Amino acid sequence: MKGYRDYFLRKLGWFAITVVVAFILNFTLPRLMPGDPVAAIVARMAQGMSNATGVQAVYEQYTELFATDRPIPEQFFIYIRNVLNGDFGYSISQYPRTVGEVINASVWWTIALQFPAIIVGWILGNTLGAMAAYLRKGFDRVLLPVSLFLSNIPPFGMAVILLVIFAVNLKWLPTSGGYRFDMVPNSSWEFVWSVIVHYQLPFWSIVLITIGGQAIGMRSMAIYELNADYVKYARFLGIKDSKIIRYVFRNAMLPQITGLALSIGTMVFGAVVAEIIFNYPGIGSTMLTAVLGGDYPLISAATLIITFMVLIAFFALEIIYGLIDPRIKAAQSE
Amino acid sequence: MSKVILEVNELTTNYVTRFREKIYAVDHVSLKVEEGKSVGIAGESGCGKSTLALSLMGYYFAPLHYSSGEIIVDGRNISGMDPDDVRKTILGREISYIPQAAMNALNPTQRVINFIEDVIQAHYPKTTKKEIYELARERFELLGLPAEVLRKYPVELSGGMKQRTVIATSVILSPKVLIADEPSSALDVTSQKMVIKMIMDLMNKGIIKALIFITHELPLLYNVTDDIMVMYAGQIVERGTAEQMVFDPIHPYTRALMGSIIVPEAGLRDVKLAAIPGTPPNLKNPPSGCRFADRCKFVKPECRAISVGLRDAGEGRAYRCIIPEEDLRKAYQSEG
Ligand SMILES: Nc1ncnc2c1ncn2[C@@H]1O[C@H](COP(=O)(O)OP(=O)(O)OP(=O)(O)O)[C@@H](O)[C@H]1O
Ligand SMILES: [Mg+2]
Repeated sequence: MKGYRDYFLRKLGWFAITVVVAFILNFTLPRLMPGDPVAAIVARMAQGMSNATGVQAVYEQYTELFATDRPIPEQFFIYIRNVLNGDFGYSISQYPRTVGEVINASVWWTIALQFPAIIVGWILGNTLGAMAAYLRKGFDRVLLPVSLFLSNIPPFGMAVILLVIFAVNLKWLPTSGGYRFDMVPNSSWEFVWSVIVHYQLPFWSIVLITIGGQAIGMRSMAIYELNADYVKYARFLGIKDSKIIRYVFRNAMLPQITGLALSIGTMVFGAVVAEIIFNYPGIGSTMLTAVLGGDYPLISAATLIITFMVLIAFFALEIIYGLIDPRIKAAQSE
Repeated sequence: MSKVILEVNELTTNYVTRFREKIYAVDHVSLKVEEGKSVGIAGESGCGKSTLALSLMGYYFAPLHYSSGEIIVDGRNISGMDPDDVRKTILGREISYIPQAAMNALNPTQRVINFIEDVIQAHYPKTTKKEIYELARERFELLGLPAEVLRKYPVELSGGMKQRTVIATSVILSPKVLIADEPSSALDVTSQKMVIKMIMDLMNKGIIKALIFITHELPLLYNVTDDIMVMYAGQIVERGTAEQMVFDPIHPYTRALMGSIIVPEAGLRDVKLAAIPGTPPNLKNPPSGCRFADRCKFVKPECRAISVGLRDAGEGRAYRCIIPEEDLRKAYQSEG
């Protein structure tokens, strides 16, 4: 167990380092963007104002509010303190809403969309890949090219294809939004139904992309495992295939868990893209508006939240993986 | 003459390659193993030793196919039996196998005891886990392995320990015949000795009734088995007692193989070391005459024309060469 504790602590250490680095990058990168966002807001606020000193006063007021006149290191420490207090400041593009409010209104849409989609895609992909490895022949001949195709179209490509087929041509499903634009969120059946209908295209576009990559990975892992010496040995001792297949899939599945961790980053990216294409009210769309509006408190916060979600998922998977795969445990205790 | 446990008559089996070519890796092989006896099978890499092992267990899974001949295990003819039935009733129970890559033979994510449970329950589904644990513990201790091994994952065991665990697992059902396929070749000298001693213990302690020991190092067999067969390109080229084969080989290939040992056994240190020049023929289309002709020092023109069967040399000895025994011996003497 000592080995596993060391493993856990080392992973935790890396997790902490990554969080810090991500935090710094999240803060600095948006501030390196060209353009003066405060000037942009002021320009919007000051429309119709003819008094130059009035405009100047508004500008100064906002500069102070967003602390953009302070040196960057100082801004950084203020930022850390505020983030630790759960205060991300004001959104520039959606002023006077706070970043916290903006994110809170969108992040749950993202979580409700991405988590189920990635998990469903992972399970379906792995099942199909395992079946292809075991059945070979016709099933494999169809699945492999399809998966290769799926995993190679860029995320926006998948979203656009589904959009064109099911929303534009067949008109079965809505083209954009998280619910009908003329509705106000409430708990009526009508609203829930609208949410479900709007959920389908972004959901399946993420699922399909995930399936492709996972199926290919699982297929080759399972083919490799099916040829392993322990499979033959189990047969030599008279064990039934139905039992042996359980060994094989378990062993092939375990590295796929790391695969899941590794691809969560890409998947989240894909999912963000899907949100943008379908104009889904999640954090991806929020981020797009933030980028277009030069809204760096919001960009920082949104990226930070996404990065956090990815890192936590990653960390959790590695910890679980280390627990259930004795190969990792043994490698640690050597 | 004691009871024959395993009898193989003119067994021929083949691989089918991806290009539908047939490779006869076991070609009209006959052998007999009596109760309490051990037989060694020696030959260079690729001569068909492992294929012979699989074939005589009735282990026919693609690409290996049964072609002709008989396999009789303890009086029961299993040739042509359905592979699934073979698995249920023969493998692990009547005939068991220690695979060549024994080091990787255990599932890395399964504890040793759980695998043993699966093995025993595959044949005796009603056995309880407790009974299995008791049996395994007893068997492991009898063979000098600590019982803690049972609770371990294979990755937690050293190479030699893994090998011995596989051996103990292979004989957990006390099979009549055990086939050990190069059980010691990947190990250091100390572990090798331990493994060989362990296998001989299996015989001495009555856990198995007969042993087939496969190796590419012919001299290694001298201290391990009663009889030896030498294979070349899918065929048996000579058979005799261990004593005869090691100190008085008849076939030029056996003689050459004796000279190409890698680890000299005690008492055999004066044997000169030399690899056999040339390579064995391709089994996809073996030459029509003697298969060893191209590499034989004593080759004659007729060797390539006539294919010769095994010739009886008395006392159960046989060799596959058109040159008579006396002439071969004379040639060896003049060679020195
Ligand atoms: N799966 C396979 N498909 C086709 N041919 C095979 C296959 N396995 C083995 N062979 C061929 O059968 C012949 C005998 O192989 P086998 O593994 O029985 O040799 P071996 O004597 O056990 O060699 P080694 O000492 O290297 O273990 C070889 O020529 C090999 O090319
Ligand atoms: Mg072999």
